[in-house]
Amino acid sequence: MKHLIILCIIGLNSLVSVAQPVIPNELPADTTKPYALVAGGSKGIGYGIALALAKRGYNLILIARHMDTLQAAKNKLESAYPIHVEVLAFDLAYENSAAEIGKWCTERNIRLKVLCNVAGLGGANDYLSYPLDSLRYMVRLNIESCMALSLILLPLLEKNAPSYILNVASMAGFAPIPVKNIYSATKSAVIFFSYSLRYQLEDKNISVSCLCPGPVYTKPEIVQDTRKKLGGFGNKMALDPGYVGEYAVKKTFNKRLIIVPGKLAKLSSSVIRFLPRRWVVGIYNGKGKKK
Amino acid sequence: MSWALIAGGSKGIGLGIAEALAKRSYNLFLVARNADDLAGAKDRLENEFRVQVEVLSCDLSQPDSPDIIYAWCIKKNPELKILCNAAGMGGSSDFPELSLVDTRTMIRLNLESAVSLSHRFIPLLKMAAPSYILNVGSMAGFAPIPIKNIYSATKSALLFFSYSLKNLLKKENISVSCLCPGPVYSKPSIEQETIKKLGMIGRQMAVMPGMVGEYAVRCMLRRKLIIVPGKLARFISFLLRMLPRRFLARILYRPEN
Repeated sequence: MKHLIILCIIGLNSLVSVAQPVIPNELPADTTKPYALVAGGSKGIGYGIALALAKRGYNLILIARHMDTLQAAKNKLESAYPIHVEVLAFDLAYENSAAEIGKWCTERNIRLKVLCNVAGLGGANDYLSYPLDSLRYMVRLNIESCMALSLILLPLLEKNAPSYILNVASMAGFAPIPVKNIYSATKSAVIFFSYSLRYQLEDKNISVSCLCPGPVYTKPEIVQDTRKKLGGFGNKMALDPGYVGEYAVKKTFNKRLIIVPGKLAKLSSSVIRFLPRRWVVGIYNGKGKKK
Repeated sequence: MSWALIAGGSKGIGLGIAEALAKRSYNLFLVARNADDLAGAKDRLENEFRVQVEVLSCDLSQPDSPDIIYAWCIKKNPELKILCNAAGMGGSSDFPELSLVDTRTMIRLNLESAVSLSHRFIPLLKMAAPSYILNVGSMAGFAPIPIKNIYSATKSALLFFSYSLKNLLKKENISVSCLCPGPVYSKPSIEQETIKKLGMIGRQMAVMPGMVGEYAVRCMLRRKLIIVPGKLARFISFLLRMLPRRFLARILYRPEN
């Protein structure tokens, strides 16, 4: 029985992979259509967001560190949707990345409508166990890159208004998590930045949103860590990156400021935001110590 | 003799803190950019109080600064009891008027330097336990202020950092505090701006750097986590922490015309 199921799955898979070249994409990519730039768009939540934007007919500029994952994402997206996907390999934590990306977009006069700052780095027990360079890298990737890209691309977004900025923070930005010290601190800065930017750009017709998801199962370590630390509750709250991307894009276009996907995550995050911070930190501290 | 290291200790709140510590007979390491200000602070503190003051001119926004400072401190083989991160940059121009370079400097000075100096000095503080870390945040870290976008965001991150660090270092017997003052008249431009933007309430809420330093040190030694000097500032910061952020960002947003 088991073998039969596996055979069926293999059969289906080969059908799918055969089916794609048989129905080629007749529609040529239209480069006059608006573009969305997704920084950190090759994997995880960023890829989920890219997919949701592709579905809505946006051409994409994907930025990440590795060309191979970028190329794979480009191939998948271009074969599924009639869009043009441009890929740029940059480490967003590096000082000149934002300026070079800005230059690239400005020189080509890209019709930029959407900027998504997704790139981020986190991990357990960051502050006491990481070397200083990694902590600095985290600060530079999680906040500096987000602020720098928003600043550099602001003129293009303004020109193509109404436009959108979507920053990806985390529920960890609602209250400090001791074992994820720097992660949580940098995500809080992203949330503050988004709030302020929202009001600063209101009259320029640029809407700013901030995605604050709970656990998202983007890689196997996160699945393990969530189950270990938060148990069945965490497992219930966790979401799939595809769902998160779709939800985030939908709410961004509805001009929602704070976006929390998932019912249980929404409930938990309102509790976290309402309770005194000291209590929440105490609870987090207890949970975080679980081995 | 016990030592205290104050990053950003040549002027303003940092100097106020240095004074309050000198009064309590701590020897001081002062680090700041401006060598003249440092020399002035050293002279004054050494004459007024019987303590030893060492000064180092160093740009704290540079990534190699923690190593330089550490190498300099360790020569004295000090019993380091207190680390105070008081260096910071703010002002009336912020995102998006600031250049990319200045935006980065603000993030590095306000957040990264505190994160990395603490990281570098925790081993020394551990040896001298019970010891103290005092981070200088701001009331702007309680709720987003659109016209001080990056300042307010970095101060919020610093506040988060302090909360977490307090919990992480509890068992090492290192106490962490975060000073979150309202307006402090540390230079004339701040006085003008406060009166212009916040009017009467601002004037009533404002405090002098000497008072802030004294109050901060007293509360730090009592192991208080969040320190807000001034009664009115305390009341307002309570409101800022209670009320919905969206509402606050809206009323704190006053575009300049």
